[in-house]
Amino acid sequence: MSSSGPQAARASDAEIRDVRYGTYSGERRGRGAAVMSLARWGALRSLGARRGWKAKAVPIALILLAVAPAVIVLGVRALFADQTGIDLTDALPFSDYQAIIGVVILLFAGITTPELLCPDRRDGTLQLYFSTAVSRGEYLAGRVIAAIAPLLLVTLAPMLVLYAGILVFEEHPVGYLQDHWAELPRILGAGVILAVYYGVVGLAVASLTGRRAFAIGGYLLLLVAPTVLSGLLLEAFPDAEWLNLIALSTLPIGFAGELFPDARADIPGELWQYLLAFVVVVGVASLVLLRRYRPGAEA
Amino acid sequence: MESSALTPQTGAAARLIAAEGLVKRFGAITALDDVTVVLDAPATGLLGGNGAGKSTLMRSLLGLVRPDAGRVEVLGVDAAGHAADVRRRLGYMPELDCLPLDMTARDLVVHMAELRGLPRRDAVLRASEVLFQVGLEEERSRLIRTFSTGMKQRAKLAQALVHSPELVVLDEPTNGLDPSGREEMLALVRRLSSELGIAVLLSSHVLEDVTRTCDAVVVLRDGRVVASGRIDELRGLSGDGVLVRVTGDAGRFEARLASRGLTAARRDGDITVSGAGEDALLDGVRDAAAEAGVALRELRPAGRTLEDALVDVLE
Repeated sequence: MSSSGPQAARASDAEIRDVRYGTYSGERRGRGAAVMSLARWGALRSLGARRGWKAKAVPIALILLAVAPAVIVLGVRALFADQTGIDLTDALPFSDYQAIIGVVILLFAGITTPELLCPDRRDGTLQLYFSTAVSRGEYLAGRVIAAIAPLLLVTLAPMLVLYAGILVFEEHPVGYLQDHWAELPRILGAGVILAVYYGVVGLAVASLTGRRAFAIGGYLLLLVAPTVLSGLLLEAFPDAEWLNLIALSTLPIGFAGELFPDARADIPGELWQYLLAFVVVVGVASLVLLRRYRPGAEA
Repeated sequence: MESSALTPQTGAAARLIAAEGLVKRFGAITALDDVTVVLDAPATGLLGGNGAGKSTLMRSLLGLVRPDAGRVEVLGVDAAGHAADVRRRLGYMPELDCLPLDMTARDLVVHMAELRGLPRRDAVLRASEVLFQVGLEEERSRLIRTFSTGMKQRAKLAQALVHSPELVVLDEPTNGLDPSGREEMLALVRRLSSELGIAVLLSSHVLEDVTRTCDAVVVLRDGRVVASGRIDELRGLSGDGVLVRVTGDAGRFEARLASRGLTAARRDGDITVSGAGEDALLDGVRDAAAEAGVALRELRPAGRTLEDALVDVLE
């Protein structure tokens, strides 16, 4: 048998590495790289990467559920549009998408955010992180990015899939893009609003405990209980629109909906009211986080 | 013995650690009480019982604890004022459990290298090297939650070494290890300063851990430095010979020693042998024992042990 060909090529690619410990004199990156490392490893952990299938199953299932409405509408359009004359923009408006998958987003944040903080507190890993040059602020910045980035998979990606699908099915995609380019920043804004809100609130609750189950329960209770209360009070006082602002689980969805002009008339309250409530909730959650990670607090 | 007993320093560059008047209180408890010490040996042991202040001193060096009074310099940098700069140049192996249980050893070490500024590719290569050095190369892909205590200690050591620190701070590295695990860990620690050129500060409450791995020692009690200096100076080894116990004809053994020019003095069954340099002395004892047909039951330095010296100081 000849040694030429692919085998010879592989042999020439082989290299012998010296794995003895030596002094490292290579590049050393700045603090931003450390923050991104915390974000990257955190995001992977929250999605169950490098762990068993059980850890991956729930986040992946929720991501699929979040994309499902867009896929279903696009699929129906692909199969039956000629017969039904379906208009994709009317069938599933962007302004309604997040409301439709609101429970999925809520659950996704409830499951992924505790994974970022609780194990570090439970396993004592914080002292290991802080014994490196990582500061408490850098640690929190990394974890906030790690919470928000996966959340965009359920708050932003599905709407982008829908937008891309509409473009594909349009007879004149360029014309559609020219007419509807303004939807893209609205979609982006809506996705970021929800990811920031649920991510920061989820982290704030998770910072209070080392037990993941308690963090998930506490998070759901914190967001769902005021929403139920808001609904009950609105039954008694139908004209008190401000009561919608204490519905903490749906507050960011209302805020994001206000970004879409076609939906404003259907959403009780004004944009500035939602903005104010959003800032207050995210601000309080941020303060809780900072307080829980002040020097000596984790001891 | 106060810090004046230390080996004279040869300049700021040689000083690994210099603490002056360090005080740290936790409520009514004074964890560090006017600690003044200079460390410049390749490997220094921090010795003391539980609550002596070892961990607090180590955490002060890392800038994790801010002293109430005094100052501490590490590698020539003010540890309290520039903690991040210090920590970039140090490796730290904490005493308590601190490993993320849901990560593999490889992922942990790569992640810790990235946090210390190494680019990802370099971090992966360095992780392989350091895991090989601590004997975890076969286990690198296993989740840490499946590790034994000894393997966890090795993983902690690996993450402390991955970024090529100038000084590595080891807080009770043999804690919880079985005898064989302890032997292996001590051998690893000794290699850090003797072969790999990494300065070591090790804390322990076990004297033998320090004598086997370190060149100098600082003894703490109730937050105060009660002794410090080079180990061989503290126990006064040089020229004292060795103490031997044998089973068999001791007289014949002494005769064989004398025929080799060695001096033997017997007292209560112990034979103190002297009269040559260390290597020649040990070779002579071995050969004399073989020729006399006696079995060596004990062979150790005849001078004061470090334990003797410390008992003197503590009393």
